[in-house]
Amino acid sequence: MFPVFTRIKKSKLKVITLCCALVLGVFILLLLLSVATHTTLSALIESLGSSEIQFAIRMSLITSIISTIMCIVVSVPAAYALARYRFFGMSLLNMILDAPLALPPLVAGVGLLIFFGTTSFGKGLAELGLAFVFTPAGIVMAQFFVNMPFMFRILRSTFQGINPRYEYVAQTLGATDVQAFWRITLPMAKNGLAAGAIITWCKGIGEFGAALMVAGATRMKTETLPISLYLNMSCGDLPLAIAAGTILIVISLISLLLFEKFSGFARVF
Amino acid sequence: MIRVDCLSKDLGEFFLKDVSLQIEKGEYFMVLGPTGAGKTILLETIAGIYTPDQGSIILKGVDITALPPRQRNIGMVYQDYMLFPHLNVEENIQFGLRTRKVPRAKARQEVAELTEFLRIDHLRHRYPGTLSGGEQQRVAIARALIVKPEVLLLDEPLSALDAETKGKLREELQRLHSSTDITILHVSHSFEEAFLLGNQMAIMNSGKVIQTGEPVEVFSRPNCGFVARFLGIGNLFRGMSTMKDGLAMVDIEGQKILSVAAKEGQVHASVRPEHILVSRKPLDSSAQNCLKGHVRKIMDGGAVVRISVDAGLRMVAALTRCSFDDMKLRQGSSVYLTFKAADVHLF
Repeated sequence: MFPVFTRIKKSKLKVITLCCALVLGVFILLLLLSVATHTTLSALIESLGSSEIQFAIRMSLITSIISTIMCIVVSVPAAYALARYRFFGMSLLNMILDAPLALPPLVAGVGLLIFFGTTSFGKGLAELGLAFVFTPAGIVMAQFFVNMPFMFRILRSTFQGINPRYEYVAQTLGATDVQAFWRITLPMAKNGLAAGAIITWCKGIGEFGAALMVAGATRMKTETLPISLYLNMSCGDLPLAIAAGTILIVISLISLLLFEKFSGFARVF
Repeated sequence: MIRVDCLSKDLGEFFLKDVSLQIEKGEYFMVLGPTGAGKTILLETIAGIYTPDQGSIILKGVDITALPPRQRNIGMVYQDYMLFPHLNVEENIQFGLRTRKVPRAKARQEVAELTEFLRIDHLRHRYPGTLSGGEQQRVAIARALIVKPEVLLLDEPLSALDAETKGKLREELQRLHSSTDITILHVSHSFEEAFLLGNQMAIMNSGKVIQTGEPVEVFSRPNCGFVARFLGIGNLFRGMSTMKDGLAMVDIEGQKILSVAAKEGQVHASVRPEHILVSRKPLDSSAQNCLKGHVRKIMDGGAVVRISVDAGLRMVAALTRCSFDDMKLRQGSSVYLTFKAADVHLF
């Protein structure tokens, strides 16, 4: 500690920038604590036991896990292709795949609502029993659409960091290109995959705007934790809203810790 | 054994242009060239990683140009090993056998024999990240050898190693080659490696093969200025050659040197620094070139000292440390440079 403080005294820039970082950190901490300590522990436990919060937890977990799996299944090949191959229109495709990241979730939700609610494709899917509008499937689709770029970007960067010569060597040893990918590149990308899955799941469980537009906010039907927070705040049931908020904070913090752990190793190889 | 005919491949920054090579069975073939010469892309094209734009690759009389890497039976070892980091040494070496569906017990036995041969059997349960550079390179060689390839391609396998490890691994490669009689194509920057390991060698530059031949022949008889400069021939001159009494007399900036090469007109003349005898007094010898000059610069390389001498021409000669110390040479010292007409190469 001593040498750090000695150096800080010598530099005004360090003092100013460090103060900014500390103020920001204290502000965030106070904000999180103000939510968690707004109610008593017993009230919080009671709210957690309510059927509505339990439904919201279940709905959030199921939809976020499904959407995360969908993100993995789609992003792994897409990220690999864009990390390994050079082709006409690659930059444009990269930009399009990143676009949902920059899009306001509400706009993404409107897009999904129009696509699945008004087009013949969406209507056709609904007739086949796969309705997205105002259903839990809509929540999954909203989470997938908004959060896929997180998984895609992390995986693309992970694959770019893996020397293709590992696959070349595997192929000279008798592996097909698919075997080389499956047995060499994918295991080497496991930390990137884990980091991507954690951040995607964490973002999925907290997804609100797009899910609200596509699936609506129907109590005990399309009620995820953020929707529950919104509904209970709207009708003034603060303990239930705080319970949903606290769970989301805990999930976010744990996810952040796990993400840091895995992303730190994501490009080791 | 393996023949490369007019191979061309354009990858933008790196390319091959009409590369032709013939490597016989059991030969240790060295490819030397500067960075960006196309050496690695040549190996990768032979291995089947890239499909050539034109040309063909014939292995044991069979055209393998269109075959995928897995069907060529050509082993590849990279400079940076490329050991699979999530597999331990045994699993790395077994990889080729497992893809060929060799039963696990047989694979284990083959790995045991090979690791013993390469003296890495004690590393079998270690992961690549815990191995030294030399150990990793031995494992990479074992992994390539386990499938008994027809040809082993080595892409600068020694360049990332320290001098001691490099020496040991070089001996290992010699032992491997002499005891297995495997055909090896080895890419390198090092002339020393080419001399010590190669039966034949090729010099590459800008995607082309510039010269091929036995290492001694290429070193003493470069066919162009690039090869001479690349091989570190310190004495390379342009002059006018005329034939006289069966010898070529080359006039270089007014200074005349004799060569046994029968070449007239404008020529390049090269003399290797180690072929020049340095003395304080004229030597009584059969060598037909003797130039007097003054030491301009001393380049002390430890065991070998190179001196730059102004003898009408600026020439570089190499001496052992012992000779240099005995002659007490300093900048400005007067010296005689003596070299045979047979050591003056004209092209």
